[in-house]
Amino acid sequence: MKKVSLWQIFITFFKTGLFTFGGGYAMISILEEELITKKQWITAQDMLDMLVIAESTPGVIAVNTATSVGYRLRGFWGAVIATLGVVLPSFIIITGLSFVIEAIADNVWYKAAFTGIQACVIILIINAFTKMAKQLERDWFNAILVIAAFGVATFTDFNVIFLIIIGGVLGVCYMLIRQAVINKKARRLQSDETSSTADSSDGNTADVAPMRSADETRGDNPPLETADTDGADAVSENGQNGGE
Amino acid sequence: MEFLLLFWEYFKIGLFTIGGGYAMLPLVTQVVERRGWLTSAELINFIGVAESTPGPFAINLATFIGVKVGGTTSLGVFGSILGAFTATFAVVLPSLIIIIVVTKLFERFKTNKYVQSVLYGIKPVVVGLILSAVITVGCSVILPELKLTAITKEGFSQFNWISLIIVAVFFPLSKIKIKNRKIHPIILIVLSAAVGIVLFGALKITQ
Repeated sequence: MKKVSLWQIFITFFKTGLFTFGGGYAMISILEEELITKKQWITAQDMLDMLVIAESTPGVIAVNTATSVGYRLRGFWGAVIATLGVVLPSFIIITGLSFVIEAIADNVWYKAAFTGIQACVIILIINAFTKMAKQLERDWFNAILVIAAFGVATFTDFNVIFLIIIGGVLGVCYMLIRQAVINKKARRLQSDETSSTADSSDGNTADVAPMRSADETRGDNPPLETADTDGADAVSENGQNGGE
Repeated sequence: MEFLLLFWEYFKIGLFTIGGGYAMLPLVTQVVERRGWLTSAELINFIGVAESTPGPFAINLATFIGVKVGGTTSLGVFGSILGAFTATFAVVLPSLIIIIVVTKLFERFKTNKYVQSVLYGIKPVVVGLILSAVITVGCSVILPELKLTAITKEGFSQFNWISLIIVAVFFPLSKIKIKNRKIHPIILIVLSAAVGIVLFGALKITQ
């Protein structure tokens, strides 16, 4: 990574903020062009890492990406300056524009235009929904959560923040239950093996052992995979997560 | 006081939005309604504006709501600008703090099974919330009298067929690909505004 001045960071992100319409993903292609190809401040791999962070941490994706890049380039102040740069165009334009909107809000033609725009907004949200729904795995856990969250948020006044927190908690519970089920299966399989051979003692001491041994037994024993594909999925996922 | 409230609400919105702009919408809708900051028509209008002005959608929305809320105080124009600043700053602050921490611990964060499973649980909830936003926004445009939390017969008294037709026409239009690229949302918004004006004009002439 090159040494970059704070002013350069500010200008780059100010420009990016100014020329991005819509949301985060529109900005990312511009940032790739600007930061990787043109300026070569970061590599494509850096960008990918930052995108993972931006998507899986709270906040606006475009801002998260800016903060992340800024931080990598120049530490704390880099992060602050990049964030400021990407937000400032919005701030100036929207503040100015909102006074104009206030002034003409009662104009009949303005209202007529927004009759059309309101309908279009519905479509934009539908498209945002289908885009995100496509990324979900098709399983009962996701299906139940989508429907439950939809029902509660639409027909009650329940605070949506609590729904998000509950979702996170359920995600952890689901993972723990799946892990417990897999461990149990692996242990049963292991005890079967120890009765015949004695080679399973190596995977039983470390804290990640249950998962790893489950992974190994899966490799050794194809019958388990065919018997329960859902469990096998979970094994590979947990094996990955526990492998750090 | 209003500014503190604005800061607090928007800080929470920034903190609990995962998945970007439109994932933020259900939180914004609920807060705005509960606090009585904007009418739902104002909010929906501005979603259209936020999408077609430069800058991240969610930041544009935050800035605008800040202007509106700040404008209701006795500070006048200065209040509006302060409100815009407060909301924008508040929505960005959680990102700033979290990103700095997470970037430092990235390798561990990426593979941590608790982080992964929390996200695994949040994702379907967010999808459900956006679907809820589709219905909530759709209803307030097409059936403006209907309250989804307390459905009554009177709710169906007013029916905006013009909006429904525009949705029915523009939805397939938004899926069309020209040279492998979908029509940009800004073009759709401009087109829909034109349709709104034309229909209004046509109605006026016939009346």
